[in-house]
Amino acid sequence: MNELVSELKNAIIEALNLEDVKPEDIDNDAPLFGDGLGLDSIDALELIVLMEKRYGIKLQDPAAGREIFRSINVMADYIAAHRTK
Amino acid sequence: MLRIRRWVRITPAGAVVDGVPVRLEPTEDPLPVALYRPRVGGYPKFFKMDPLCRVGFLASELLLDGETSRFEPREDRAVVLFTQSGSFASDSHYERTIADAADYYPSPAVFVYTLANILTGEIAIRNKYYGETSCYLLDREDVETMVETVRETFLDGATHSVLGGWVDSPDSANFEAELFLVEESEEGAEWAADELRRIMKDK
Repeated sequence: MNELVSELKNAIIEALNLEDVKPEDIDNDAPLFGDGLGLDSIDALELIVLMEKRYGIKLQDPAAGREIFRSINVMADYIAAHRTK
Repeated sequence: MLRIRRWVRITPAGAVVDGVPVRLEPTEDPLPVALYRPRVGGYPKFFKMDPLCRVGFLASELLLDGETSRFEPREDRAVVLFTQSGSFASDSHYERTIADAADYYPSPAVFVYTLANILTGEIAIRNKYYGETSCYLLDREDVETMVETVRETFLDGATHSVLGGWVDSPDSANFEAELFLVEESEEGAEWAADELRRIMKDK
């Protein structure tokens, strides 16, 4: 799981152009939106694309992302349980 | 009466504010990033912008640097920009994300920059401007059209200053921004058009 968490952090930094953020800056349990990384609605859509492109997970209901993208740990758990690639 | 309070030019050769070159420490970063880090900073959205918005945003930051009451919501300042390539670089980038049916992942973050007028939006959002915003596509850098359009912007009665000028970036290596801040004034020339013409043509 640690490997997936680390990979996920790097993938998010790259996909969302978080130029000044390092993987170690991202708290595994901190919210990704709002006070955490300060991501916005476009970032949420980009995360949905990332989930499908990298892990083969197609989120049919964008509203489900609200729960899945709650933190890095929650996201990694979901990916580990649902990934198809 | 109208006067030009400040003007900025950014090209791959460097940045100039009111005719004075901006000095930068040597760095491996491309010029827009090399300008952003010491002169702006603390606005991570910059790194999400496409090349057009980056150069326009940077020019606006240099233009407004030191202005008092900045970031206070206002409706009396218009943003009137002109471009030739518009969002062509982002259009091409977006097309690449949908070109392969077997690898079809349209990027929302790229898509939002496929309208050139997001350029004015980035500046208005950053500075809390709620007045007129316009982005005109011209077939060339037509100084006379720009001068006349800026002058007409003041005729609405609500606009008391205009952040305007030329911004173009056909790709990330080629970019140019020439922005100016024109404002109503008790003093100065009847109309700053001649000065604007001189600035825009004097390259």
